[in-house]
Amino acid sequence: MSVSLPGLAARNLLRNKFRTVLTVIGVAVAILAFVLLRTVLAQWTAAADYAAKDRIVTRNKVTFIMPLPRKYIDDVKNIPGITGATWCNWFGAKDPKNEHDFFGTLGCDHKSIFTVYSDATITPEERDRWYADKKGAIIGDLLAKRHGWKVGDTVTLTGTIFPGDWQFTIDGIYQPHSKALDRSTFFFRWDYMNDSIPERARDNIGWITARVDNPTRTADISAQIDKIFDDREVQTLSASERVFNTSFLAGISAILSALDIVSIVILGIMMLILGNTIAMGVRERTKEYGTLRAIGFLPGHLVFLVMAEAAFVGVVGGLLGLAISYPIIEKGLGRFLEENMGQFFPFFAIPPMVAVAALGLAILLAMTASLPPALRAFRLDIVSSLRRVG
Amino acid sequence: MSDKIEEKAPAAAGGAYRAPQGEPAPSIVKLRGVRKTFWRGKESVSVLDALNLDVPEGGFQALMGPSGSGKSTLLNLIAGLDRPTAGTIEVAGKDLTALSDSGLAKWRSQTIGFIFQAYNLMPVLTALQNVELPLLLTKLGSAERRKRAETALRIVGLEERVHHFPRQLSGGQEQRVAIARAIVNDPKIIVADEPTGDLDRKSADDILTLLEKLNKEFKKTIFMVTHDPHAAERATLTYRLDKGALL
Repeated sequence: MSVSLPGLAARNLLRNKFRTVLTVIGVAVAILAFVLLRTVLAQWTAAADYAAKDRIVTRNKVTFIMPLPRKYIDDVKNIPGITGATWCNWFGAKDPKNEHDFFGTLGCDHKSIFTVYSDATITPEERDRWYADKKGAIIGDLLAKRHGWKVGDTVTLTGTIFPGDWQFTIDGIYQPHSKALDRSTFFFRWDYMNDSIPERARDNIGWITARVDNPTRTADISAQIDKIFDDREVQTLSASERVFNTSFLAGISAILSALDIVSIVILGIMMLILGNTIAMGVRERTKEYGTLRAIGFLPGHLVFLVMAEAAFVGVVGGLLGLAISYPIIEKGLGRFLEENMGQFFPFFAIPPMVAVAALGLAILLAMTASLPPALRAFRLDIVSSLRRVG
Repeated sequence: MSDKIEEKAPAAAGGAYRAPQGEPAPSIVKLRGVRKTFWRGKESVSVLDALNLDVPEGGFQALMGPSGSGKSTLLNLIAGLDRPTAGTIEVAGKDLTALSDSGLAKWRSQTIGFIFQAYNLMPVLTALQNVELPLLLTKLGSAERRKRAETALRIVGLEERVHHFPRQLSGGQEQRVAIARAIVNDPKIIVADEPTGDLDRKSADDILTLLEKLNKEFKKTIFMVTHDPHAAERATLTYRLDKGALL
């Protein structure tokens, strides 16, 4: 095979196979960690990103945990541009057999919930069953799988906000059609909850979700809704579903920022590992580089050799990192998170942009890490390097 | 030192070599007032001092002298690997002191063939690839490069070892590969720094015979630094250097 400078760079890498393999593994692990953290960051905000553009959420202006009067729903429905509205209450129940398993329990208006949230569907049979069954519940497929619940089962949950044992019958399993939709939610009828709690607490709702005919008017309609309730006893705060979802992330912004920083630190560590390997190689090959310079190669040729070597490690390490990331993140960890933390990670997969960025950064940082040794090769003194022993 | 070498010793510093017939041989290397000073901290160390030298074209020259006499420094200057502190160096018609670093590199690749004591082959390349390496600096295609490298290896008698890596060769064979690499771009001058220093007597004799062949049959000017009197005996001309001055 004919010789070439890229070929020489590649062969130099194979000279100390153990060191090269360790470095490639180091890069691959760093890329895996980077991809994992960036995927967590990306998917954490996915609910906001995938939020329906034509839905508005209205909540108590003071705080999300304070309720709204039930009667507000009628005012909202009458606003021009709103095609439908529903409401829900956060119920906060737990399965007494598995108290550590967290899932969302929402008491919602059974007649409108799957109309406004049309990205989750139930069959007409399930709908009819639920309409006829005040204690009925519609649950997500992952929740059903996790708890072994089937349609027709009677389930008892323990209330945390509304204490006591609450009995439900599983009337159906909703099918999600959006990546952002949690597949572990427990929907039950709001009227069951409302009629079962003390009278002083009745006729309150957690929030209203309304659907608009024109997604570009969400801001305008949100303002209209809040204006209606400005003079009432309870004021509201309305916003698009995306803004509503994003507001939840504000509370964990410090964690997200920390993950962001850690992902960058990991790349920094990767760069140092790689830079050290390349620098060691350059030091060991000083005499050979001196020989190349003696026979007429230019400093630029040596820089090419050093940087090509680094680029090879970056490409191979980056590709290996991605190759192990997909099965580990998507098949292993991702599936676990979807099944067990669906409310936070309804859909956990590596975004293509994260994969592209990881590979690009692996190559870019590898080449950046090779700059000091490349500069050393560039400045090489031929006579001194030829005199070098070893 | 043999009488033969003494007979062929050049005139004192600055003197030009004359062929036995009395015809003045053209000089391929001309050094005038060459001074080389190294700095050790604030202290300057003069290695070569106002050196004048004319090396005849087509000769097989040996340069001898004790350690630290400046032999390798002189070789490096002639080969364009280093620059003098003062003076001019003209080799193969080029004033090396006037060339830029890149110009000097290009000149080296076209004019000089290097042979090192430790062979300095790339261990990751085969004999053929090592020999082909200098040709990467030319515009030759890979087929032509390969053909020329094979020819060079045939000249040094290693046509059976083209696909061997340096670790699979003996010291003498490695030096032959290095010689093939030195001649593959058809240089005017071959500079050899202790080419037999790492070899046993038999291998050293073989290498010296090969250098003689390159000198006589291929008309290559050879300038060899050596400590070995046996090696110097094979040269047609021997210079002696001591304390930075030619004797």
